[in-house]
Formats: sequence, structure tokens, C-alpha cells
Amino acid sequence: MIMKASLAFLLQEPRGMDLWQLLFTLALICANDSLPTSEVPLGEPQIIKCRSPEMETFSCHWTDGDVHNHTAPRTMQLLYMKRGDEEWKECPDYVTAGENSCYFNTSYTSVWIPYCVKLANENKVFDEKCFSVDEIVLPDPPINLNWTLLNISLTGIHVDIQVRWEPPPTADVRKGWVTLEYELQYKEVNETKWKELEPVCSTTVPLYSLKMGRDYEIRIQSRQRTSEKFGEFSETLFVSFSMASETVLCAEEIQFPWLFIVIFGTCGLVVVMFLILFSKQRLKMLILPPIPAPKIKGIDPDLLKKGKLEEVNSILASHDSYKPQLYNDDLWVEFIELDIDDPDEKTEGSDTDRLLSDAHMKSHSCLGVKDDDSGRASCCEPDMPETDFSASDTCDGTSDTDQSKKISEKEETLLCLDQKDNNKSFTNLDDPANQQLISQSEDNQSRPPFADSIESPSPVPPVRTQLSNQSSVTNIDFYAQVSDITPAGSVVLSPGQKNKTGRAQCEAHTEPAAQCQSNFTMDNAYFCEADVKKCIAVTSHEEVEPHVQDQSFNEDTYFTTESLTTTAVNPSTATEEASSSEMPVPDYTSIHIVHSPQGLVLNATALPVPDKEFMVSCGYVSTDQLNKIMP
Amino acid sequence: MPHMITTMNNKGASLKGVLLVFLLISNMFLTKKSVTSLPICPSGSVNCQVSLGELFDRAVKLSHYIHFLSSEMFNEFDERYAQGRGFITKAVNGCHTASLTTPEDKEQAQQIHHEDLLNLVLGVLRSWNDPLLHLVTEVQRIKEAPNTILWKAAEIEEQNKRLLEGMEKIVGRVQPGDTGNEVYSRWSGLPSLQLADEDSRLFAFYNLLHCLRRDSHKIDNYLKLLKCRLIHDSNC
Repeated sequence: MIMKASLAFLLQEPRGMDLWQLLFTLALICANDSLPTSEVPLGEPQIIKCRSPEMETFSCHWTDGDVHNHTAPRTMQLLYMKRGDEEWKECPDYVTAGENSCYFNTSYTSVWIPYCVKLANENKVFDEKCFSVDEIVLPDPPINLNWTLLNISLTGIHVDIQVRWEPPPTADVRKGWVTLEYELQYKEVNETKWKELEPVCSTTVPLYSLKMGRDYEIRIQSRQRTSEKFGEFSETLFVSFSMASETVLCAEEIQFPWLFIVIFGTCGLVVVMFLILFSKQRLKMLILPPIPAPKIKGIDPDLLKKGKLEEVNSILASHDSYKPQLYNDDLWVEFIELDIDDPDEKTEGSDTDRLLSDAHMKSHSCLGVKDDDSGRASCCEPDMPETDFSASDTCDGTSDTDQSKKISEKEETLLCLDQKDNNKSFTNLDDPANQQLISQSEDNQSRPPFADSIESPSPVPPVRTQLSNQSSVTNIDFYAQVSDITPAGSVVLSPGQKNKTGRAQCEAHTEPAAQCQSNFTMDNAYFCEADVKKCIAVTSHEEVEPHVQDQSFNEDTYFTTESLTTTAVNPSTATEEASSSEMPVPDYTSIHIVHSPQGLVLNATALPVPDKEFMVSCGYVSTDQLNKIMP
Repeated sequence: MPHMITTMNNKGASLKGVLLVFLLISNMFLTKKSVTSLPICPSGSVNCQVSLGELFDRAVKLSHYIHFLSSEMFNEFDERYAQGRGFITKAVNGCHTASLTTPEDKEQAQQIHHEDLLNLVLGVLRSWNDPLLHLVTEVQRIKEAPNTILWKAAEIEEQNKRLLEGMEKIVGRVQPGDTGNEVYSRWSGLPSLQLADEDSRLFAFYNLLHCLRRDSHKIDNYLKLLKCRLIHDSNC
């Protein structure tokens, strides 16, 4: 208000005495601001403070004011009123708290009730204050300060001490009526500024890194935890270390060890220089190791580029873990006979599809999924043998042929079943293996590698020579199981049947006459081609009577190694002699013509029976071995 | 004679046996009784792992925090809105919790039974549920209310609920099975917080915050007192 008035006044004032008036006004304003907000004029008695040290009693102190202005000694009265009182009451005790004070003992004190006190003499009220006791708590200072030595540093320069004290005796901390917080301050004797520690609730606190040879002063103040103001300071504790320091030798602080740094730094630098100068290359190698170019161990990528596939194959074959992938373009040429009814099939299918596809493939595609290389159709569930001619390609693409073989075999089986109905002859060796072969081919999900190894170890999706009953009957074996394809381009067939179509179809099932060795490794998921060949070797001499499939011929039987093994093991003894009387038939027959869609006319060239050596080799046939066999 | 002695011996042995069994059974019953007299986990309690001391520690921490926030909020409000309006000199109106007779000094607090004091604390806490809720909403309508005040109001309201839960747990432990009548004071000060006249409205806020600070201090003190009495055996 006054400021506004003065400003307005300033603005209206003529320019004459501007500066002085401005200064005067400013002085007034400043003086105004510094006046206490309580409207008591200067020199009048006023209540300085009301304080409770422990929240059980409280006292109020006032000043007399400027006595000189008043002639008669005044009889000051402090009147108080609690909420709920009707009238002002006089102070009960003017004495205990000292002069110009009023003391309220426990009986007069109620904690959370508002009080109003007023300072007055008979006529005039000088000052009035309202408060409640919980707001005016200022604890007494702590007592009994002392300290104990914690430890001295190794250098003997720094000292840690533990300072202890006791809470003020008036405050009832034990019963929890008052909860106190303490703040410790310390300084060196000749300093002026006190250092403060964080307030703590405990009655002890450590002081770290005091210097030997100096003297310190410590004091503590306390407050109620929830208030802001601290009470009085305690007595100052005097801590002296100067007397002990005379015997200490190291008076000075440790200098930064420049000398050591210089020496060691120089040594290190020299070493590094030596390294750099005399072994540049090695250092370079250490710092920037060359990134090795990716390459197959043992194979020169140039070979692949140049197309020297035989060498590549030989290299690859030398690795046991490799199937000799025959990337011979020539081979493919022979196989591809593009005479497919469905033009779509041609464009999408793989080569093997083209080779072996027939009209059924399309119609029996699994859920209409066409065969493409996406692998989407790979997990088609075989529903029924007829319908499930899914043109799926599994992970390694052998299922196509599986499918083709399967369907053909299924059909054959069905055909055979008609014939077999009356013939209950059941040979364990044939049927399980046979059926498993079929079921194995049904199962295009599981064991493609297994199927692979069963049917043929050749890397090229083996061509199934199982022809449908529609295939033309030609001069030689209508169905022959392809067991391998040589790098030269010839198809390795297992001995096939020489009978007519119908019987040949059935006989196809007899082909898997198991002549299994008992040296199957039971836990090996991959069966040696040779071993399995024996299991399912065509027994030409065997009758083509239909074999009753004793085992449940349903699509759900999956070809398991165990089953094969068991079946393999079972007939091992039975068919020993059977296999021995087997007529030697050519294992390798080159393909003469590829009849579409499932026909493969084979050359009648007889090839030497492979050696035992060939048979023995488990796993994959190396090209060396093949080369030995082949001319 | 020897026959009699043996029979007597037998009888003595059987007597001993009976006595032993009796002792065992009585011991069983006695220990069982002593266990039941100090229930650590009364039936129906979900969380049985926290000790009473820990519960009290948490409660004291919460009450301390609430009082701290209330003090600060009151001081802020006082600084910002109450200066020059003479709120201080006016006799502060009574708080709505005045109907709950709480101990006003140390002697009274010491004489009151701890179960009664706990129930009083619960009553005060419950009485503040409603006002705090409205405080949070109404304080936002104050012209240019600083964020700190708004945040503190919300925080106090939430912590109060938590403290209430904790106290109910403690009461459940200390006096199991005693649901007690839920005594609390109803608050009817909402209209005053919504007055059109700004001065009157701000005075209503001032009053409410003053009461809040006071009551939170009361609760804090009572809980500390109870903690020292029950957990530390009056030797904090």
C-alpha cells in the first residue's frame, strides 16, 4: 500500500526535487518492510517466544520494551485462554522460568489444544499470540558429550573418532513421547565456520579424518523430528590431538609420487617402443588381425566356379559327414523328361516331380498346396494313400519321390491285397519291412533322411523306379528300386523283379525281403544303405504271392528305426538261406529311357555285383568306391 | 512278605507310570494354553510372517511421513495464501475429530490402555478418510494452486489409507477377534471448501490443513508411544 502510494506520489511529483524524493521514498519503503508484521510499535513490550522443551510444560518470555518511555512501572500480566475456556486466565507461575516469563507446568499444559496468550497490563493489550504446544517444542541440548578413538590411519596423520552423548534429561525419549534428532557440528579451533553433519536419530556418530596435530570443537543441537527448528546447542566438546603429534615424524602429507610415475612411465614407453620398432608386423597382427575369409576347409572355391565337380565331389566325399552332393548337370539332363500333363506342375515342381509326376499328384495334393520350394507343403498329413499324393517337398526334397513311390506302392498294395486275401501266408521278413517301406514312404514328415538312407544314399533325390500300374510293361524289370545314382550318371538299382506288371506290382512288395543283418546299430537313426538294402533286397526267387499284411496297414504307422530294426532282426535268421539263394541281379542299371510319367526303362547291362567292400561301407558311398565299381 | 513287596513295587511302578502320563498330558495342555494365549498368527490372518514389531515400525514410519507432509503443506499454504488475511489471529475453529476424546498430555497417554489407544488411532484415521478425499479434489480448484500442494494432498490421502490398513492389521494382532465398534467422526466441512467467497474458502482450507497437521502429529505420537511401550518395553 505504502509502496503504491509512494510510487504514485513519485510519478505526480514535479521534476524538481526528483532525486531526493526518490531516495526518501525508497528509504521509507525499506524501513516499512523491515518492520515486524505484528503491529506492535517499537519499544513496546512484546512476547518474544513461547517454548516447550519436552511437550509437557511450556513457558512464555516477553520483553519489557523501552522502559524510558513510560514513567510508572508497569504490572504486566500474561493472560491465557485455552479453547473451551470462557475467559482469560492469568499466568500461574511468573517465577520459575525467570524474569518476564510465565511458566505452565504439566497440569496446565494440554498438548494439542490451541492456546492464546496475551500480554497486557490493566488497560492495554500489548501483544497476543495463539499457538498449540506441539508447535512450540524446542528440546534442551544434549548432555554428556564425549569421544573415543576409533582408529588412526597408517600414516598417522588422520584420526577417526566416535562421539557420544545423551539426550536431554527433560525429554522423555525412553517412553517415546518425544522423538529427537541430533545434528553435530565441528570445527577446528582456529576456524570460524562450523562443519555440519547430517541429522541423526541415534545418540552417537563417528567423525572421520580429523587431522593429527589439530584441536577441534564439537557441539550438538537437537530438535523434534517433525519440526524444523533446532533447540539450543550443547556445550562444546574440545578434542585435542596436538599433544600427541609431537612424536609423529611425518608431519607433512604425502606428496603425489611424481618420481615413481615418471620412472615407470618411461620404462613402459621404452618397452612399447621396442615392441613397435622391432616387431611391426607382429604388432600389426596383434592389433588388427586379418579377418579370415570364409571358405570350406579343403575346398578351393575356384573349383566350384570352374565347374570341376568331380574334384569337388571327391573332396566332399572324403569327409565322412558329407553326402557327396553330385552337382553334375549332365545327370539332370538325363532325368528330366518334360512330359507332364499339368503345365503348372511343370513350372512349379522340382525336377523329381517332373520325373515322376503323374496325374494323380495334382489331384492328390495335400490340401491343394502345390509343390514349390517354399516348403509349405512339407508337413502335409497323409490322409489316405490315394488322396495323399501330396506334392510336397520336405526338408531335403526326398519326399517327392517318397510320395510317388508311396502312391504307387499303395496302389500296388491294394492290388496285391485283393490277391492276398486268400493267401494268408505271412512272412515276417517281407511284410513288416515291406509295409514299413510303404508306411515309411507314407510318412513324409518323419525321417526323410532315414528314407533317404533307406532308399538311396544318393544325394540326388533318388528316382523311384516304382512305377504305377499304368506304366508300360517293357522288356525288363518293370520295377526296380533305385538305390543309388552314380556320378557318372547311371542309376544304381537294387535287383528288380522280372515278372509281369500285375505280379510285378505285387512283387514289388516282396522286394523288401528283409535280409537284415543283426549288426544294425539300434540307436542309429541312419541305416547303412547297404545294410538296409539287404533288408529290403529284392528276392527274385520269391514267389509273388501276395503277402498278407499282418501288421496293421494304416497310414499311421510310421516308419521307425526300431520297427525296422526289429523287423530286420527278426527275419535275419529266417532269411539267411533265402537270400543266399538269391539270384544275382545287376545292382546297377543305367537308365535307358524315361517314360513319363513314371517310367524308367533301364538298360539291361549287367554290372558286376558290388564288392563286399561296397556293402560294408556304412553311411555314404564315396565316389572312390563308386568309381571302383563303375567302369 | 516278598510277594507283598513285589505287588507293592508293581503298584509303585504303575503309580509312577500314571503320574508320568499325567504330567505329560498336563504339560501338553499347559503349553498349548500358553501358546494360545499369545497368538502369533490368529486364525484368519493371511500374512503371518511379519512380526508385530515390524508392523509397528512400518506404521510409525508412515505416520511420521504423513505428519511431515502435512506440516509442509500447511506451511506452504500458510505462506502463499494466509499471509495478511489474519487467519492466525482468528481463533482456530475446532477440528471435526474433537468428538473423539484423545489423551492430551503424557500422563493421560500413559494411563490409557493400549487397546483403547489403538482404537482411538483407528477412529482418527477413519475420520480423515473422507476429508482427505475431498481435499484432493477441492484443492485443485484453488486458484493457481502450486503443484507441490496438490501432490502432497494426493500423497497424504494415499498414505493415510495405507496406514489405516496397517493399523487394522496391528489391531487384529493385538486384540484378535475383537471387531470393536467403528467409531469415527463424520466430517461435514465440504460445503465450506466450496464457498463462493474466496476468503472464506481459503480460511476453510487453512482450518482443515491445520487440523490435519495436528491430528497427524497426534497419531504419530501415539504410535511412537505404543511402539516403545509394547515392543521395547518402555525403553526406546
